[in-house]
Amino acid sequence: MRIDRREFIRATVTAGVVSAVGADLLVPPEAQAQPVVDRWQKAPCRFCGTGCGVLVGVRRGRVVAVRGDAESAVNRGLLCIKGYSLPKILYGADRLTTPLVRKGGRFVPITWDAALDLAAQRIKGAIRAHGPESVAAYFSGQSTIFEGYAINKLWKGGLGTNNLEGNPRLCMASAVTGFYSTFGMDEPMGCYDDLDLTDTVFAWGSNVAEMHPILYSRIVARKHQDPRVMLVSLQTFTNRTSEEPADLAVVFKPHSDLALANAMAHVLVKEGLVDREFVARHTVAKRGLEQIGFGLRDTDEYGGQPPSWATFKPFSDRGTVITFDEYVKFLEPYTPEHAEQVSGVPADRIRTMARLYGDPARKVVSLWTMGFNQHTRGTWINNLLYNLHLLTGKIAAPGNGPLSLTGQPSACGTTRETGALAHLLPAGHFVANPEHRKKAAEIWKVPVERISPRPGYHTMEMFRALDRGDVKVIWINTTNPFQTLPHAGRYRTGARRGGDRFVIVSEVYPSETSRLADLVLPSAMWVEKEGMFGNTERRTQHWAKMVEPPGRARDDLWQIVELAKRLGLGGLFEYGDVPLQKGLFEEYRRWGRGKGKDLAPYEVYTKVRGGLRWPVVDNQETRWRYREGFDPYVKKGEGVRFYGNPDGRAVIWARPWEAPPETPDGEYPFWLATGRVLEHWHTGTMTRRVPELHRAVPFAPVWLHDDDAKALGVADGDRVRVASRRGEVVARARVGGRNTPPRGTVVVPFFDESVLINVVTLDGYDPISKQPDFKKCAVRVTKA
Amino acid sequence: MRQERWKTGVVAGAALVLALGPFTGAALGQAPSRTGARLPRTYEGAPPLVPHDVESRKGLCQECHATGAEGAPITPHPDRNHACVQCHVGQDLSVTPFVPSTWRR
Repeated sequence: MRIDRREFIRATVTAGVVSAVGADLLVPPEAQAQPVVDRWQKAPCRFCGTGCGVLVGVRRGRVVAVRGDAESAVNRGLLCIKGYSLPKILYGADRLTTPLVRKGGRFVPITWDAALDLAAQRIKGAIRAHGPESVAAYFSGQSTIFEGYAINKLWKGGLGTNNLEGNPRLCMASAVTGFYSTFGMDEPMGCYDDLDLTDTVFAWGSNVAEMHPILYSRIVARKHQDPRVMLVSLQTFTNRTSEEPADLAVVFKPHSDLALANAMAHVLVKEGLVDREFVARHTVAKRGLEQIGFGLRDTDEYGGQPPSWATFKPFSDRGTVITFDEYVKFLEPYTPEHAEQVSGVPADRIRTMARLYGDPARKVVSLWTMGFNQHTRGTWINNLLYNLHLLTGKIAAPGNGPLSLTGQPSACGTTRETGALAHLLPAGHFVANPEHRKKAAEIWKVPVERISPRPGYHTMEMFRALDRGDVKVIWINTTNPFQTLPHAGRYRTGARRGGDRFVIVSEVYPSETSRLADLVLPSAMWVEKEGMFGNTERRTQHWAKMVEPPGRARDDLWQIVELAKRLGLGGLFEYGDVPLQKGLFEEYRRWGRGKGKDLAPYEVYTKVRGGLRWPVVDNQETRWRYREGFDPYVKKGEGVRFYGNPDGRAVIWARPWEAPPETPDGEYPFWLATGRVLEHWHTGTMTRRVPELHRAVPFAPVWLHDDDAKALGVADGDRVRVASRRGEVVARARVGGRNTPPRGTVVVPFFDESVLINVVTLDGYDPISKQPDFKKCAVRVTKA
Repeated sequence: MRQERWKTGVVAGAALVLALGPFTGAALGQAPSRTGARLPRTYEGAPPLVPHDVESRKGLCQECHATGAEGAPITPHPDRNHACVQCHVGQDLSVTPFVPSTWRR
């Protein structure tokens, strides 16, 4: 697919008008009333990966209001109710304001010095007795870029362990491995401008209406402007994204997306809708390993042997090149009729959807989130979606492309880009690569042999190792794993098995995780500290510290540096006269320069409202990567170049449908899907403390189909027990409302600490991405 | 005067329920309570909160808020339908706070 000059100008002008003049404000004028404040300062929202710009109203040292930033190209002045609730998340009455240590089953206050000395002493003791692999850190896609970069440097360059993970492993890992395996490089090629320029939006297993409300508003606004614009919603249960104004709402059986996507590719091939020239010039087909398991047993990654640091066998699958004809042959069994049997979606519907992808007169954007990523074949389904865009050449162009939506505000900016995961170094470098370790040693000024070539424990393995006793000390920061890990019962018990285990938790409010800690460190949050986040569309945004944290709470970067000093590694964070944040950021920039991940100087981000999308070359952001005329890394005459791969080609993967690890049966006859609601963020530690949000959704219900409820003798509001082979919860049944599961499926959100639905979920994961599947396991539902 | 508007509201509301009945089934539940007093905005510029349940009446906001039926406030931005509940959330005033808040204006 080629872009002519007229389209190029249209894309440029549209985006220019929107961001510069704000001609298309989303916010209604009556929402622009302004309260009395001392000053307004810019910040990105603290919640989802959309990355809305807000203006924070500060009065007498407290946050009293926010407004959507009309100059932000992301949200053009609009916020969702979570965004409007930002001021209140700082002021729950039970903020943690002093370090606490567990003594005889109770938490008692201690000083920061005593707390940090204790943490350092336990870390040093564990390393001395059991080696650096006995120490671990579990950070967050809500950590700032400074914090992510600093903990990465301290752990990998200082302590010499790669046991550093971030909760995006539970959220984005399959998108990352999907991008790497197809394009050789992480993160989306397109951006939100695509939503204004496309005429067809597919939401695959993404309830964008609730989870990314502002992007949904942009889609709805676009539909109001142009009746040709279509929204197709593909879900495993009916939700707000399936409602009006969606044009096509499809409900498919859990895990059948693999068959659906292959069937759509099948139709594209059979009906001659493939862009042959694009495929020939820019792609190569491959087939990889199959029947790769689900990581259900601790021994799975150790060749069936008992787990030990030495016997770890990292998963590797480079795939085998096949011809396009061989790929077509692979697709042969995936007829729409076959996919109908697997998915329950009528064959004609499958053809209709495939033709939308294939229609030369249509532009197509695909959105997805946890439905694809939290999937035991998450990497594969990401690959299969890219296939649809590659086969039709509708990719890396204005209005055309796959756009992986991020759950957290800085899953991209912090965890993925600074490389705060067990196998990564910053800006797309890898611990297993000797050249990359050499670069790390140079930039970090540490001996190269200190950086371990062995990837550390990924998240599931990290908490299994804590349970087994292989990890002795873990620092959990800005995340709540003992509410969010699948099969949480095992890992909750593991944390408190005693012996020489020591669990350090940095938090802002008491949580299911802080309650299981040995040491609790009170943190500053959001505008109580300086920070930077990176959103879904590669946009890096900065905010300044605006108010003081309460009591003795301190920001996480300060905690990292103070701990480093006590470990004898304070030198890692000395930048002379340069302020720490600037020093860290300027050092971090060196990693991505010339690698397609260029960032602007620190000062630029402190000034630019709404931030910039990388690569930023000569102060110009990049909206469409891999496309000549937009991406400075694509040379004149190349048109398109997927330069993440050495041959410049993207991979069309032949990935089969395979059965999931657990399917409903006579004993456990229902599917369970977990998820979020618009009003609450993740485990509710912040949003439940906002009275308006709590009054809107005060508890997590169990959504049931009307007929299932009747068959169980359950009425709306009755208490039901949801049990799996791993654990059970009791919660109130909900029939109707925002979600309508099909018969045989129940839906339970995970925000409510009194409904710990993750004690029920299954801790099987995608062996490529190591991301667990929170959307599918077998449960029994009974009246409680 | 007030009485008159109340009567008009009831008639309009009843007509609405009758008109919507065949399409809504169980999702409609009962018509919104008129007693729902308007709730104060959290702060100037924050969106108005909804003093009735919105969960059971999905997609029906405009039926009252476009015209003011049942005394409902008329939306100043009818063009923003389909996305109402992103900003305007229902409030169950019988719910006690999860944790008290120390936030103040």
